[in-house]
Amino acid sequence: MKAVGASLPRYDGIDHVTARSRFVDDFSLPGMLWAKAFRSPVASARIVRLDTTRAEAMPGVHAVITHADVPNNVVGHQEVWGIAPDEPLLAEHEVRFVGQLIAVVAAETEAEALDAVQAIELELEERIPFLDVRNAWDAGQPQVTPDGNVFFYYPDQPQRQIRKGNVSEAFAAADVIVEGVYRPGAIEQAPAEPAAALAIPEPNGRVTIHSTSQALYYSMDITARHLRMPMGMLKFVGGTVGGGFGGKIDTKTEPITAVLALKTQRPVKWRHTREEEMLCSTTRAAWHVEIADAVTHDGWILGRKTLTLHDAGAYMMTSAYACSKHAFHLAGAYSIPAVAFNTFVVMTNHVPTAAMRGFGVTSASFAVETHMNRIAQVIGMDPWELRLKNANRVGDSSPSRVVYGNPSTVSTLLAAAEAADVELPPDERAMTNAKRSGALLPAHLVEQQREPVTHPLVWRDNHPALEGGV
Amino acid sequence: MALRRGRGIATIEYPTGMNQGGDPSQAWIKVKPDGHVDVFSGTVDVGQGSKTVHTQIAADMIGVPYDTVTMNNFDTDTSPVSFGTFASRGTFIDGNAIAVAAYRTRQRLLEVASRMMEVDPEDLEIADGDVAVHGAPERKVSVAEVAATASWTYGEMIAGSGAWMFPHVEPDKETGECEPHAAISYASCVADVEVDDETGEVRVTKLVQVYDVGRAINPTLVEGQIQGGAVMGLGLALLEESYPYYPELSHRGPEFGAYAVPGMADLPELKNVALEDPDPVGPFGAKAVGEMANNAQSPAIVAAIHDAVGVWVTELPARPERVLRALDESRQPRRDGRRVIYDEHLAVAAVSTAENRAEGAWRFPLVSE
Amino acid sequence: MKLVVNGKERLVAAGPLTPLLHVLREELGLVGAKAGCQHGSCGTCTVLIDGEPRRSCLTPVGAIEGASITTAEALGDPANLSVVQAAFDEHYAAQCGFCTPGMLLAATALIERKGGALERDEVVEALGGHYCRCTGYVKIVDAVVAASRGETGTRAPSTLEIRAAGS
Ligand code: FES
Ligand code: FES
Repeated sequence: MKAVGASLPRYDGIDHVTARSRFVDDFSLPGMLWAKAFRSPVASARIVRLDTTRAEAMPGVHAVITHADVPNNVVGHQEVWGIAPDEPLLAEHEVRFVGQLIAVVAAETEAEALDAVQAIELELEERIPFLDVRNAWDAGQPQVTPDGNVFFYYPDQPQRQIRKGNVSEAFAAADVIVEGVYRPGAIEQAPAEPAAALAIPEPNGRVTIHSTSQALYYSMDITARHLRMPMGMLKFVGGTVGGGFGGKIDTKTEPITAVLALKTQRPVKWRHTREEEMLCSTTRAAWHVEIADAVTHDGWILGRKTLTLHDAGAYMMTSAYACSKHAFHLAGAYSIPAVAFNTFVVMTNHVPTAAMRGFGVTSASFAVETHMNRIAQVIGMDPWELRLKNANRVGDSSPSRVVYGNPSTVSTLLAAAEAADVELPPDERAMTNAKRSGALLPAHLVEQQREPVTHPLVWRDNHPALEGGV
Repeated sequence: MALRRGRGIATIEYPTGMNQGGDPSQAWIKVKPDGHVDVFSGTVDVGQGSKTVHTQIAADMIGVPYDTVTMNNFDTDTSPVSFGTFASRGTFIDGNAIAVAAYRTRQRLLEVASRMMEVDPEDLEIADGDVAVHGAPERKVSVAEVAATASWTYGEMIAGSGAWMFPHVEPDKETGECEPHAAISYASCVADVEVDDETGEVRVTKLVQVYDVGRAINPTLVEGQIQGGAVMGLGLALLEESYPYYPELSHRGPEFGAYAVPGMADLPELKNVALEDPDPVGPFGAKAVGEMANNAQSPAIVAAIHDAVGVWVTELPARPERVLRALDESRQPRRDGRRVIYDEHLAVAAVSTAENRAEGAWRFPLVSE
Repeated sequence: MKLVVNGKERLVAAGPLTPLLHVLREELGLVGAKAGCQHGSCGTCTVLIDGEPRRSCLTPVGAIEGASITTAEALGDPANLSVVQAAFDEHYAAQCGFCTPGMLLAATALIERKGGALERDEVVEALGGHYCRCTGYVKIVDAVVAASRGETGTRAPSTLEIRAAGS
């Protein structure tokens, strides 16, 4: 019997329905301490005084850590891609968002830890936060980072930009220019299981960390760098996670519990409360997308210009990655021969934003598709026809010049029309994903066509290619 | 008051694997002396079902029954690198690493069987846990016998390892030129809504969704992604927001309820179709579906709202206040020669005044300039 | 104080205001009930108290002295699944599995209370307060309806329509 293609039972199905699946919070150990966090009450402030002495003397308390206890406090989530680290695990001289971690207590019980958190003394000099990405370049705005409010992809170029074809010609040739603004808001990943970690000091100096991470090795790398320990000294345990949706890439509970475990030589567990998940942990970013399209009366999109401002929140996390990815998808599933896309990462005093399902592209899809529907309205064309005409075909190329080898925009559209009982005219129903020709190959689309290339890592006869010395 | 109906469509594409690549996955596999297969890879099952899908891939690639394979993804001491369960890479990139490791395990089984049976490995095939001679299916030994012979007679181990990565690419600084992903999936969505034009409330009554997934390795799990994604997409279109007065800081609330998430009662009728246009690079032709499953609903729903009541809500979520305000204001796009300008009040130009920008460091043309 | 947990009498040391969820998980080692919010808003901590589904995070143990408590662990074991458990497995109603124990118990109580085949609306009404981020709820409702009709024993076929893409 073939397994692939069959709806075989879930590997973990029986474990789930008998409540035998073990999540991080389900593990406990003798002598285990509980961690609770002390966080910033404001969005922007200088820390004038932080005093943990009273908290340290509270009943049941074994340790209170601040930034000074973290061997390498500032680590980035994108260092592997060459983006400079900017986020302290525990705040140093300032706080940049509501809920930023300042100190963490480990105590015998969760209640004792919470009491001690309340005994931490903090004096702040509050600053005016910077919140609206649209003011990123305005004079006199509060500055979120010492380097300003806009991230620079290159020393002399802040934006990720995509350029293809002759945009001015396209706009000069347009019958209509349709412009619009799209602003999908920040939302919570909100997996049912809150983030949690349990760090256990091992007799041989190693640390075992039970983690809700969506990426054990990635989180282990970040933790190792915070601890200045080789990865070999760490063991991450996990792989069964109560939903992530991007929210469990943010690696905070693991290094925090590890620092506490090493300091107290006791197992330490920290589980986020729902409030922390909602108010303090990363969100999907809010985006601001402006689109202008050069359109003809008969429904061709000759060119597109866009401006994207991505609200990164107070620290970079994975925003540079997201905003680049976003840029590659601003033509949507269509062939647009002339494009100029500018996408900017803007730092604000919102909670840092990070991955969520559809990362970087959900916003592009919303903007592009709503814009397509508006274009259809403006030129009085059926939105199906507009899409089917411009849909990418074999041999068309993307804004970054990827040649489409097997696009299925036309197939999915036709299948959707059929499934939704939409009667399309016969010439549209007869469309395919095949290379453009005839009426579907107007002059402006000729130059962007390329020969599809065969990928070197291709599967043959149901076997993966093995070249490349894996 | 009137309930008005509308329909909207959207078509999207979504990449498989991390943007710009460079995200490796690795796997190794051993066969126990009784023929049971143990797969090790540092993947994370966040509920999407990667343990199941990876087990299916390994079982078929080796040629053994699904229930003789264990999937071990529980720690980093035993399992090799997976870059992570994100970027729609689990089935495709982890899956390819496991497929390569399984292929090599299969080669080892064939090698040992060929010695046992004195048949050229090329003339052998493995299916359903048996190694048999091509064209002479009665000449066979079981994988269990092969594994036992390797262990106890030949003193050898049957194992295989594999890795897969789409190499990292850097986009051109000026043009962005590069091939940033290994594969692209496509989807279309038709949304039917009812809008109460007095309260502004929107109810999604039906979503028709079509996804090109390359190959559905486990159709029911694919369906689970599509159903879960649909409801999440509905949430982001209509309900969910961290900051109700964005960009103001006040948060919607620390609890479910205050922070509105879709519940069972929001569930629309769903009609789901998967197209299989096998990808040349994905395992058994599979491409990603997990993330894109929540991308097509919001534009389709917003278009359906427009179809129902004639207003565009382009700030998400389209909660009742926003729909009502749009109805009240019933803004028309400004027309200026060939230009048709929507949402002028939301644009950078409306908030960041020209004077501000002249004083500040603004040096990037606005879209409309 | 005393509680009857999954049919066994247990002595509990925690103070009367301690939430039952805490007692189950941290004192009695029964981790089937999950702490999704600890504020009554998600349903992952649901257990049966004298047969009624209750949010254990909001239930101080002092208020239920002597009550009989059922957690997901007691529904059935792998070799002997309850009807609701079997239906959840056969319908792939659990993805990450974190909401599952609470859903199972609420569904079990609902089926017991109504006795007989349930309509989808009834399931939505009774289980509507349970949060699930993964499944979109479809397969959960499918499973509860099937369990209420005793339709278990075979794997639910996928309703996903699969077609070869015409190129
Ligand atoms: S944990 Fe009790 S309702 Fe969420
Ligand atoms: S299955 Fe993950 S929350 Fe329900």
